[in-house]
Amino acid sequence: MSKFGLGKLLRRSLIHRKARSLSALIAMTVSAGVATALLTLYADLDAKLHHEFRSFGANIVVTGTSDLAAAQKAAGSDANVAQFAYAVATTDRGTSVVVVGVDFPAVRKLDSWWQVAQWPTGADDALLGERAAQFVGDEKDVTLTFAGQPHTFKGVGHVKTGGDEDSRIYTSIDTFQSWTHVAPSVLEIQIPGGAASVEAAISRLKSALPGADVEPVRQLVEGESSIVDKTHTLMFGAVLLIALTVACSVLATLSASVLERRRDFALMKALGSSQGQMMGLFLAETLLLATGGVIGGYCLGSVAAWVISEVNFNTASLPRVGVLPIVLALNIGIAAIAALLPLRVLRGLEPAALLKGE
Amino acid sequence: MAEVVTRLDSGAHKITRDECAVIALDGVSREYVGRAGVVRALDSATFSIVAGEWVAITGPSGSGKSTLVNMLGCLDRPTCGTLKIDGVDVAAMSAKELDRFRADKIGFIFQQFHLIPYLTALENVMLAQYFHSMTDEAEARAALEKVGLGDRVSHLPSELSGGEQQRVCIARALINNPPILLADEPTGNLDLANQQIVAELLKTLHAAGHTIVMVTHDPEMAALAQRKIALSHGRVFCHPVQNVVRLR
Repeated sequence: MSKFGLGKLLRRSLIHRKARSLSALIAMTVSAGVATALLTLYADLDAKLHHEFRSFGANIVVTGTSDLAAAQKAAGSDANVAQFAYAVATTDRGTSVVVVGVDFPAVRKLDSWWQVAQWPTGADDALLGERAAQFVGDEKDVTLTFAGQPHTFKGVGHVKTGGDEDSRIYTSIDTFQSWTHVAPSVLEIQIPGGAASVEAAISRLKSALPGADVEPVRQLVEGESSIVDKTHTLMFGAVLLIALTVACSVLATLSASVLERRRDFALMKALGSSQGQMMGLFLAETLLLATGGVIGGYCLGSVAAWVISEVNFNTASLPRVGVLPIVLALNIGIAAIAALLPLRVLRGLEPAALLKGE
Repeated sequence: MAEVVTRLDSGAHKITRDECAVIALDGVSREYVGRAGVVRALDSATFSIVAGEWVAITGPSGSGKSTLVNMLGCLDRPTCGTLKIDGVDVAAMSAKELDRFRADKIGFIFQQFHLIPYLTALENVMLAQYFHSMTDEAEARAALEKVGLGDRVSHLPSELSGGEQQRVCIARALINNPPILLADEPTGNLDLANQQIVAELLKTLHAAGHTIVMVTHDPEMAALAQRKIALSHGRVFCHPVQNVVRLR
């Protein structure tokens, strides 16, 4: 027979009350699982949200310079920088239209949110805004005139954004410059990261491009920061709310357990168990369930985080070992809070009355 | 009035009962404060029990038997008076000291057995060792063999008859060699056959020199004891010692 001690007592006690033990274990697993999933996502949240916000276009606009190289160097190698040159031309129907010379590959990276069926590749290819397409006679043969100089473009597709882009015609910047002789006047820059990264990039750009006007796209920067902060708060709130709910559930289970076993505890008291030993035994059971919940919950939560991340951000959120101590502390905290009332009941046990059968 | 006993040794040596008492009460009362006011459950109890004595505590419901037994078992403390167990005044002890003292001095035999349902017979006996000092499986087995359950050590309480469960309870009560066995209605939940088995067991224990304090409603069980202490409305009425007390 294996040695009789605390371990055997705990094991037998938990197995004897399978239903109650399982109920508490499931509750603790749920709390650990949710905490693991949210904390794992939280750790990646900044990077993933910022990555999503990147697809919304530039967060810095520079005017008054066309020094692309200096701007790219100041912005950093991971920033997207695109030049824009603007001119107002006339269509073959006599309608004025804004023509924009761009580097299409750079714009495609910068403004990945544009809805474009087919991007231009040829020198004379043009991208027609949804509304601008109505100003031309033949999309395949678009003749525009600027300062008396006509040029024919071939429309290859439409761009739809819901904004000013829909009223413009986009052409290759080299073709645009050789036709209009108008230099690029605007640099749009997309800096990865949050508001702090954007502010830092602005400082560098101002130093590298003296005389240029460097401005953040305030709505985007502040909106991104606000959304990230609110999402963090929401996550914390969710973890706390779930922890509270689980604590209530575990409290009910533990209280029922103590009431069911009050005669057992009274017997232990009669046999010479001290108050501390009795409460220690009860707490050990509770903590064992909490720890068991952490093991199961961490695994399930890591899987859940991975799935949520894949579905929403198309990237995996890998399990984070650093989250484990926090989840363990949270579960133990929940168990300790849930055990307070049952411990109070234990302290107030009257062995004499209980053993008499009252 | 202190009673006088004669020590059974070679010398003529008379000592008072109080001097060899393993339990001694002097003016012990217990009061409870309820909604109706103060209730005196035990009123100025004064008696002593010497080592090796078998005493039956009798009385109707509400007479104060449970209160008296709780105090003798160190599960409760007197409101006033002196209660000495094995020469130690328990009223002065802290709760922690009382727990320790109880484990050392008292072996409980309950009417409802109170065995832990998920522990085997052997483990139920070892539980008493666990809270006393350290477990000793061989000793626990020997205790179960002594009560005739050597072949039932691995059985759970649900697999034992009422009489067998009570015998496990007796083995558990004996395992730490306490000076006092406190039996609260030990045959109250048993059929006639098992009552006789348990009664015989108690007689054997008494013959071996154990001190037994037994609460009982059963007149036949009470008759087995050397002395009766009757309670009525919280007051104690002691029957005189019938025989010479053999000291351990």
